[in-house]
Amino acid sequence: MSGLDRRGFLKLAAAGALGAGLTACGAGDSGGGDGTTLRYAWWGNNVRQQNYTKALKEFAAKNPGIQVEPEFADYTAFQERMTTQMAARDVADIFWVASAQVMTYHKSNIYRRLDEVPSVDLADYSKEELESFKLGGQLNTMPFGIFVPVFRYNETFAEEDGVKLPPADADWDAWSEFLIDYSKDNPKQRKGMPYEADADMVFEAWLRQRGELLWSEDGNPGFTADSVRAWFDWWDKMQKAGAVLTLSEQEGMGPDWALVGKKVLAKVGNSNHIIDDAKMFPDYSFKLRSVPAAKDAQAGHPFLYYPRMAIYQGIDDDKLEAAGKLISYNTNDPAMIKTVGLTMGAPVNPKVFEQTLAAAQGDDKESLDAVQVSRKAERRPRFEAPPGTSTWRTAMARVAEEISLGRLSTADGAKRLLDEISAGIARAK
Amino acid sequence: MSKLHRQGGAAHVFLIPWWLGLVLVTAVPLIASLYLAFTDYNILSSPKFNGLENFERMFQDDYFWAAVRVTAVYVVVSIPLQLGFALLLALILDRGLRGLAFYRSAFYLPSLLGTSVAVAILWRQIFGDNGLVDRALSIFGLELGSWLQNPSLSLSTLIVLNVWTFGSPMVIFLAGLRQIPEELYEAVKVDGAGIVRQFTAVTIPLLTPIIFFNLILQTIGAFQTFTQAHVVSGGTGGPANSTLFYTLYIYQQGFTNFDMGYASALAWVLMAAIGLVTAVHFVLSRYWVFYGDD
Repeated sequence: MSGLDRRGFLKLAAAGALGAGLTACGAGDSGGGDGTTLRYAWWGNNVRQQNYTKALKEFAAKNPGIQVEPEFADYTAFQERMTTQMAARDVADIFWVASAQVMTYHKSNIYRRLDEVPSVDLADYSKEELESFKLGGQLNTMPFGIFVPVFRYNETFAEEDGVKLPPADADWDAWSEFLIDYSKDNPKQRKGMPYEADADMVFEAWLRQRGELLWSEDGNPGFTADSVRAWFDWWDKMQKAGAVLTLSEQEGMGPDWALVGKKVLAKVGNSNHIIDDAKMFPDYSFKLRSVPAAKDAQAGHPFLYYPRMAIYQGIDDDKLEAAGKLISYNTNDPAMIKTVGLTMGAPVNPKVFEQTLAAAQGDDKESLDAVQVSRKAERRPRFEAPPGTSTWRTAMARVAEEISLGRLSTADGAKRLLDEISAGIARAK
Repeated sequence: MSKLHRQGGAAHVFLIPWWLGLVLVTAVPLIASLYLAFTDYNILSSPKFNGLENFERMFQDDYFWAAVRVTAVYVVVSIPLQLGFALLLALILDRGLRGLAFYRSAFYLPSLLGTSVAVAILWRQIFGDNGLVDRALSIFGLELGSWLQNPSLSLSTLIVLNVWTFGSPMVIFLAGLRQIPEELYEAVKVDGAGIVRQFTAVTIPLLTPIIFFNLILQTIGAFQTFTQAHVVSGGTGGPANSTLFYTLYIYQQGFTNFDMGYASALAWVLMAAIGLVTAVHFVLSRYWVFYGDD
C-alpha cells in the first residue's frame, strides 16, 4: 500500500490550513465586494420570521447594493445570543432590543447615536415624540411600534354564553366580579381568564393608576410593596373564586395561548398580541378593551410602550448609511407594515399610523384603536427598566406562581419581589 | 533519526487538533472561569475583582439552596433506582433470551434519546394536564392534574425520566455479567446455593467493579442534568423551584441575569462537589468493591 508519508502529510496539512484560512477570510468579507451587507437581528414566532424575512428581501430589492443577512431567534434565545455576541464584540448591525435590556445595553454603550445618521429619516416626528424616544438624552434607539396594555375578550364566547361585559368605564373590581360570576355559571364551564399575575404591562398600568411608576427616573423601582400586594390580591381573589385557570390547567405561568384559548372568556395582555393570537382561532372573534381604570386613577396614567431597535456601536462606518435606510424602512415605510403587519404594534410614524388606521379592519383596527386611545390621552413620562433588572419579570412570575400555589402570602410575595428587584439594581450599580 | 522516533513525530502532528481542542476549548475557559469566579462580571463590561463576594453571596441566596436541594434529591433518589433497574434488566437479558440483540438495542434507545429536547417535550405530554398519566389515573378516580405543575410531583417525573434512560448502564452490566466465570456458579451450586445465594455470593461481588464504574459515571451525569429540566420547566425551574437544578440555575445566572462572575463561582462549587462526592465514593469503594486480585 502506498500510504501517505510524513512529508506528504505535512504538505497536506499545510494546504488544508491555508485553504481554511482563505475560506475564513472570504466569509468575513461582508462589507466589500458587490455592496453593503447588513446583519439584522430580531425575535418572534415562525410567522414573524417569515414576514420579516420577506420584508428584508423587499428592502434589498428596492435598494440595490444593500444585502440583508437575517438573524432570527425565539425571544429567550435572542437575548442569550445577544449576550454572547456582545461579549465577542460581534453584534448584528441592526438589532431589536428586548424591553428589560434597553438600559443595560445603553449602560454598556452598544448603541450608535441615530441623530448623527443622516439616512435615518425623522422628518415626520414631532419634537416631543423624538424627546420621548431618547435614552439618557440621546436618540440612540428607534421605536418601531407602539402597544398598550389591554383586556382582550372572545366576543364569540360572550355571545354564545349570553353574557354582557362590564361597561367601558368599569373598574378592576367590577371586572373581577363579572369574571367570577361568569366562571360560576356558563354552559361550557369556561374560566374568566388565565392566571397572569405576572403580566408586566397590565401591572404597570395598575401602578400608574395608583400614582406610581414601574421604574423611576433615577433607575429604581417606582412602586411600593402595598401596590404590588393589592395587585396580587386582585388576582388571588379571582383564583380563590375559580375565575382564573389553575397553574395545572394552563401548564404553568406564561400560558400558551394555543392551549388556553378555548378555555377562557378573556385575558390581559398587550394590544399587539391580538394580531397573532386571533389567527390561532379563526372561528372566533376577539375584541379589545382598555384596561379597567380605578375609580381614583391618577391623571396621566395611560402610557405607550415602544419596542426599540438600534444600530450597533461597532458597525463599520461605511455601512452606516445603509443601516440608516433600513431603520427608516422599518419605521417610516408603509410597505414594511404591509408585509409584516401589526405584530409589533401600531406604526410609530404618526403619518403611517393615520394611514394604517384609516384602512384598518378587524383585528388590526382593534389593535390600532386601543393604541389611539392612549396616544390621545394625557400621559405622564415612562422610564425604561434600569440595569440589573433583566430578570425582574422572571422574579415576578416566580412570586406569582408561589402565591398561586398557596406557598406565599400576597404581602410576603410583594416584599420579596421588591427586595429581589432592588438587590439586582444595587448589584448592577 | 530512528524510524520509531519519526513515527512519534508524526503522532504528535496527528495529536495537534486534540491538543488545540484541549487547550482552547477546555483549559483556557476553565482557568478563565476560575478567575471570573472571583469577579463581578456582567459580560458587557470588564470583570472587576471582588474577592470571595460571589461565594459569600451563595449562603444568603435562597435559590442557590433550592437548587442544591433539588439536585441532591435527584442524585440520591434517581441513581440507585436507575442502576437497580439497569441491573435487573441486564440479569434478565443475560439468561439467554431469544432476540437478545433486539432487546438490547431497544432498551438502549432511551439512553440515546433520554436527554434530548424531543423526549422532554414528550414528557410534558405524558405528565401534563389531561396527559396520558392524568387520564389513566382519572379512570381510578384520581384527579392529580398536571404533575409537572405540582411542586410535590414535578421532580419525580424527571427522576422517572432518568430511570428510563437505564440502557447505558444496563449494557455495561450485561458485559460485566458475561465476564463472570460459569465455574463459580457451578461451584456454589454444588455447595447447595439457590438463585438468591448465587446472586449475593457470586454475581454481586464479582460485579462490584462494574457497579462502581456505573455509579461514578451516572452520579457525575446526574449532577450535570440540564436539558430535561430546562425543557420541562420552560427554563424557569418551576413550579416553585421544584425543578431548579443546579446547572439550570448556573445557566440562568450566566445567560439570563448576565451575572457571569456569580455563575462561574457556582460552577466551581459544583465541580468541587462532584470531586468531593467522587472522592468519597473512591474511599468507600475500598470496603465494598472486589477486584478479584484483593
